[in-house]
Amino acid sequence: MDDLTKTRMDQLVDHIMKKCLWQFHSRAWDRKDQNAGILGKTTELLCGDKPKTDTPADRCYWVDAVCLAEAYKARFEWINTLARDEIRALMKAVHERMDFLTVTGSLNAELTDQHY
Amino acid sequence: MPYHEFNCSKCIPERKKHAVIKGPGEDLSMALPLGYLNTIPGVISERGCAYCGAKHVIGTPMKDVIHLSHGPVGCTYDTWQTKRYISDNKNFQIEYTFATDMKEKHVIFGAEKMLKQNIIEAFKAFPDIKRMTIYQTCASALIGDDMQAVADEVMEEMPEVDIFVCNSPGFGGPSQSGGHHKINIAWINQKVGTIEPKITSDYVINYVGEYNIQGDQEVMLDYFKRMGIQVLSTFTGNGSYDDLRAMHKAHLNVLECARSAEYICNELRKRYGIPRLDIDGFGFEPLSASLRKIGLFFGIEERAQAIIDEETARWKPELDWYKERLRGKKVCLWPGGSKLWHWAHVIHEEMGVEVVSVYTKFGHQGDMEKGISRCEEGALAIDDPNELEGLEAMEMLKPDVIFTGKRPGEVAKKLRVPYLNAHAYHNGPYKGFEGWVRFARDIYNAIYSPIHQLSFLDISKDEIPADKGFVTRRMLSDAGLGEDVRNSAALRQYTGRMDCIAALRKKTYPEFLPKPKPAFLEPAGAA
Repeated sequence: MDDLTKTRMDQLVDHIMKKCLWQFHSRAWDRKDQNAGILGKTTELLCGDKPKTDTPADRCYWVDAVCLAEAYKARFEWINTLARDEIRALMKAVHERMDFLTVTGSLNAELTDQHY
Repeated sequence: MPYHEFNCSKCIPERKKHAVIKGPGEDLSMALPLGYLNTIPGVISERGCAYCGAKHVIGTPMKDVIHLSHGPVGCTYDTWQTKRYISDNKNFQIEYTFATDMKEKHVIFGAEKMLKQNIIEAFKAFPDIKRMTIYQTCASALIGDDMQAVADEVMEEMPEVDIFVCNSPGFGGPSQSGGHHKINIAWINQKVGTIEPKITSDYVINYVGEYNIQGDQEVMLDYFKRMGIQVLSTFTGNGSYDDLRAMHKAHLNVLECARSAEYICNELRKRYGIPRLDIDGFGFEPLSASLRKIGLFFGIEERAQAIIDEETARWKPELDWYKERLRGKKVCLWPGGSKLWHWAHVIHEEMGVEVVSVYTKFGHQGDMEKGISRCEEGALAIDDPNELEGLEAMEMLKPDVIFTGKRPGEVAKKLRVPYLNAHAYHNGPYKGFEGWVRFARDIYNAIYSPIHQLSFLDISKDEIPADKGFVTRRMLSDAGLGEDVRNSAALRQYTGRMDCIAALRKKTYPEFLPKPKPAFLEPAGAA
């Protein structure tokens, strides 16, 4: 990953870690679903696509995605200049980093505890 | 983010992994304190027990209920004058507390007969109350009293009453958090789905993990009603027993305190398909985002935006008055539970204070993940601290104020650190836009109290100055401010009422014209 992409990815990840709560559900599988659902729909919104919202769960992911996409556009103006492919690549990196911080690299020993 | 070893705990090496300092550029994959483990013998933990978590934290805020502890009378210690989860039915649930008063003879011969007598006696003493929760304690768990059988017997004899049994003895977990889990699961297993509510809106939510500390729930309820949303139940502050039996009929669970009540949200999601949306009720920006999210979910975001615009215009100049005067003050954020992460970033951003330490007494590692993510670099994060560690941390960090419970708060005063009650509040509610200004006002009053200034004199050695005249908070707080801030016409001190809840209880709300519903929104509870 080049320096510019890494800097941008860190900014986007930092925003989530400080401002959001959805990434910290208490089970590992739940965190994976949250990251995939919300970041997937955020990517679609940033690319100008219309995400599916036809189930209550999709609607919930979409709500957090709308807030995140709006915040990204307002706080990081450079994101408005990126092409769709660049956005997809960047958000893929964000997704991988979020999965690492909250699931695979997490030191939270309770994530897979049967008796959470 | 290296582990931090307290000098006072060098003789307890296990404690070393319970504290970390958030280093520059470090993230959660590098270090995280341990949490939610059995208390280390000898550390003098400040935790409560699992019974306390089930009964005193989650159960008792239910308002129209006789809360009966099956055990020694001492287990009921925590009620009126300590807890401030008020209700709109004259605080019945905290005005009275009930115990079966188990003694040695009951431990030897059993206490089921006595329990039945107590249940009937309590219902007769309060004939208007038809609902009861019974909480197991260590004593009744150890002798194996079958509380459910007794409750079933009474319900058969008195068909008008309904009883919930919670088996969460004090030893049922490392801390009160174990009790949160047990009562959540017991409630959904025994009671959810046993009553059909009247649905009065197209938009129906459960408000979960909210305990109505000094009226917090009622402030949030006002916003929801102004959006035309029906709050089916609140788990459990100011919540009605029967409303909480109908949680399965909501469209959405709005979750405030994750670790005390996410269990029931997760179960409602799995069993009934009701999604979970986590929100913040504290701070202008997080609260605005929360209302907007709920509005977006239902397709009524313009109603949320109208509230945000109105409330921000009304209260922001007052918040900013305090921000100018609190900027740079150092805070130890030691609330015990969820305020760790509800407040960690937003008091910094919206009040200008520096969070130098966070702690949790009974939180899980997940709670600490949220707190550490949100607090600032250099902050000391401590899991389950004891009194000596608290004293050492304050001597090292030299905070201007501490937000904590009253026991550690009184300890802080000995070091001349003013404290603000983060559990029961000083002059809450603190939720909502106005509440956030009340919080800022209380912080300001704590830091700049002229009386508190006197505590910095050590009368055993300092000379008492005779040339110092009368001072006010304003004189202390404004000494270093520029002329433009001191005399700003735009900023002003808090102008709300001492009691901001009474008026809400009398308020009437507008009826909204029906809107086309989003496709996903089936009739409440149909999922």
